[in-house]
Amino acid sequence: MPFLTRNHKTPLGIYIHVPFCRSKCQYCDFYSVTDRSDKLLDGYLEAVCTHIREAGALAPGYLVDTVYFGGGTPSFFGAEGLAIILSVIRKSFDVSRNAEITFEANPDSVSDKLLKRLRGEGFNRVSLGIQCDNDEILKKIGRPHTYEQAEAAFKRIRKAGFRNVSVDLMYGLPGQTLTAWENTLRNVLQLNPEHISCYGLKVEEGTPLYEYQQYCDLADDDTQADMYLSAVQILRSFGYRQYEISNFCKKGQVSRHNLKYWTGGEFLGFGPNASSDFAGQQFTIVRDLHTYVEQILSGGQVLQEVHDVPSRERAGEYLMFRLRIASGVDPQEYEKQFLLPFAPLEKTMEKFRQQGLAQKTYDGRWHLTPEGFLVSNTIISDLLVIQERT
Amino acid sequence: MTELSKIRNFSIIAHIDHGKSTLADRLLEECDAVDNRQKEQQILDSMDLERERGITIKATAVQLSYTADDGETYALNLIDTPGHVDFNYEVSRSLAACEGAILVVDASQGVEAQTLANTYLAIDAGLEVLPVINKIDLPSARPKEVKAEVEDIIGIPAEDSPEISAKNGINIHSVLEMIVKDVPAPEGDREAPLQALIFDSQYDSYRGVVVYTRIKAGTVRAGQDIKMMSTGAIYKVVEVGTMSPYGLIPREELGAGEVGYITASIKTIADTQVGDTITTLENPAKEVLPGYRPVQPMVYSGVYPADGAKYQDLREALEKLKLNDASMSYELESSIALGFGFRCGFLGLLHMEIIQERLEREYNLDLITTAPNVVYRVTKNDGTVLMVDNPLDYPDPMEIQLAEEPYVKISLIAPQDYVGNMMDLATSRRGEFKDMVYLDANRVELHYEMPLNEIIYDFFDALKSRTRGYGSLDYELIGYRPSRLVKLDILLNGDVVDALSFILFADNAYPRARKICEKLKDNIPRAQFEIPVQAAIGGKIIARETIKALRKDVLAKCYGGDITRKKKLLEKQKEGKKRMRTFGTVSVPSEAFMAVLKLDED
Repeated sequence: MPFLTRNHKTPLGIYIHVPFCRSKCQYCDFYSVTDRSDKLLDGYLEAVCTHIREAGALAPGYLVDTVYFGGGTPSFFGAEGLAIILSVIRKSFDVSRNAEITFEANPDSVSDKLLKRLRGEGFNRVSLGIQCDNDEILKKIGRPHTYEQAEAAFKRIRKAGFRNVSVDLMYGLPGQTLTAWENTLRNVLQLNPEHISCYGLKVEEGTPLYEYQQYCDLADDDTQADMYLSAVQILRSFGYRQYEISNFCKKGQVSRHNLKYWTGGEFLGFGPNASSDFAGQQFTIVRDLHTYVEQILSGGQVLQEVHDVPSRERAGEYLMFRLRIASGVDPQEYEKQFLLPFAPLEKTMEKFRQQGLAQKTYDGRWHLTPEGFLVSNTIISDLLVIQERT
Repeated sequence: MTELSKIRNFSIIAHIDHGKSTLADRLLEECDAVDNRQKEQQILDSMDLERERGITIKATAVQLSYTADDGETYALNLIDTPGHVDFNYEVSRSLAACEGAILVVDASQGVEAQTLANTYLAIDAGLEVLPVINKIDLPSARPKEVKAEVEDIIGIPAEDSPEISAKNGINIHSVLEMIVKDVPAPEGDREAPLQALIFDSQYDSYRGVVVYTRIKAGTVRAGQDIKMMSTGAIYKVVEVGTMSPYGLIPREELGAGEVGYITASIKTIADTQVGDTITTLENPAKEVLPGYRPVQPMVYSGVYPADGAKYQDLREALEKLKLNDASMSYELESSIALGFGFRCGFLGLLHMEIIQERLEREYNLDLITTAPNVVYRVTKNDGTVLMVDNPLDYPDPMEIQLAEEPYVKISLIAPQDYVGNMMDLATSRRGEFKDMVYLDANRVELHYEMPLNEIIYDFFDALKSRTRGYGSLDYELIGYRPSRLVKLDILLNGDVVDALSFILFADNAYPRARKICEKLKDNIPRAQFEIPVQAAIGGKIIARETIKALRKDVLAKCYGGDITRKKKLLEKQKEGKKRMRTFGTVSVPSEAFMAVLKLDED
């Protein structure tokens, strides 16, 4: 990665999973709890800090250039806790002066006080979950705020001095029409955020929505596809560049942290259910807050899966994740990195190009078109089959 | 060697579900051949499949030692026979090794189509047929009437037949006494040249082929040089012995009248033809034993590995299966769509399903099977006659002078309430009514002649559902008759998929074509482009469906927290794709082929 490598240190992203929410949204399958007893909050804070200190001792050759607090709802956890964790990260790791430091926030839990404190601690990016501009839909999907609150929250964030703000939006929500979605986009664009993520609703097994999806008037695949393509269009006309399947930004305002996931960067995750890709291994932490706290504080084991990733699998990941982003795959880089021929894949990419799903740049890179992004699973799995046979 | 007068060789015949295997188990128990702790239902049905389906697929033989009321100890050789109409050939081989047959008749169901068919086979083989009335403990049992039925319909005495319950072990002793008393002791000169009938064989990875045999004349022992009389193969006997429920028990020698096994390090599967006669090199028999009729598969289908790379594995599996199942045939075929595979011949549809299931379970293969078809006889304009067992070989309609399809005579038996239903069914399948016979006041037997093609798919299931399970079926081939046949081709995205082509009666083409297109539409995943599914006869499209283009298949979110899960999802999708076959530009999963086979289920 070209970002800020000082003294030849390897760049590293740090992800903190903050698993606390005021309430569970109907569609969400990320790990979080709604219990916010002091005992649990203190236990979590102590465990995460201990965990970070232990890991920091093992990563002397790394320079942390991104930190991301996700969840859960970090803003709901509170400024004090986030500040403490960040300070422990700074003490335990070599953190770049220009590091991108993001926290996720919900409109109902961003007070001026919290924003001021976090800005002062060095947080420089906020990701605000707005989802939709229709209060009825927001209520239906279990969001604990209105659109008015969301707008107000955005303005407070700006006022507190954050110059890099992202908002999350969703399409394909219960009862949402194509026109309603397009209006949501236009309304949110008034706020002029640097970065917008647009996610198609996916009904995940195990979520409340899964149980009653047939009563929800959900958009079918074709409508979701239309909503997606329309978003790409609208955002482009407002000057936002699509740099990943679901992510759009103004010039130069990509999420540097998230980009690591798609470009094979290294990252360490802390907190229950957080994942890491570090020193050639991928591992995931146990998906239970109580176990996490107990184990960390008693010096026990918290890793659920540890996997040494062989080069062959990395070659698969290269296709899986690079094809999510606008810069796509580079055949030369691929051949050099994995010692595999790109020619068989090139042939298939050419087929996709003819179908309007992929494009080749003047310097030989391949990337998908918005239509291609929409069916990227089939494209990627086709390529994986071919890759396996070479 | 056991004295001839102390040997009884018998088999048990019955209509399916009348309790044949259960009775066999009871006989074993009564003779203490089975340790109760090891008892498992239906011991002779040793294949998992047999137990699950409750039917006997392969013949198995076992020797029991029974001390009769007369104080003498007898060696009873029980040869279990399959009970489904598909397996008549296996029944006939087993019967040729016996002197008597126990005919099990259900005390409430009475005589059924296969009761008759199997009895006639036994009588033709010169066996003493001894009826036993089973399931007398059921409330609906009517043993007296059923006995009268046996006498009236079959014409064998049944007045003193034992009334038993195999399930509850009632009167089993009387069956054993009957065997000793009424099954004739075998005859045969043990000094004569060896004549041993192969009635079954099994492959054992340590011993090679284990040949199950009935010694008709002479004696066989280890060390002898033997010869298979029709194949000419020569071997040195390694071991001879008898079969117990737990395995093989070596003996010094086997003499005329005895049933046992021979091993001779036989590796070449083709050398042990079931029905062949074994003799010795030193003192060869002059004649081959009679009664062997070569098997004629009735139904053919293409069998392909789902993963093309598994072709060798499939070949080896078929070789091994063929050893245990002389009635199956296979030969190499290749399809543009499916690559290399085999055209396999089966006795019937059940037989086909069983072979497929065994290949998948015992040999861990994933298969694609093409639609089953019968063997058509086609006379071309130039006078040459072709036997077509593969739609790919079907000539151009312009070259055909005469097309014929095989016909069978079928016998349907059910209570008279269902006569109308049975007639509707038979007529809808192009059946020609022959006659109707009242078996008793309530039950009717119908005879029809109809194309074999009409019964190989689902006729038996349809019969069962239209007669609430009471209907029974038997059929036999009666020859070829002229017919109006067409070859139906299926096109995906404009390309003919050869593996989906089949031959059928012209009038059935339209409805069938429509159904197939619908099924394929439901079973082929949407691709990034629209796919027309068409059915055509000689280039003319007669049905069409369209698979809409896939517009959305994407992981909206993919970040660190769920990267592993998303990776697995894509890996899984890749694995699914590997199992699909690509035809031109269209990927077809093996489920789509299965769906086409099961057209009639809804």
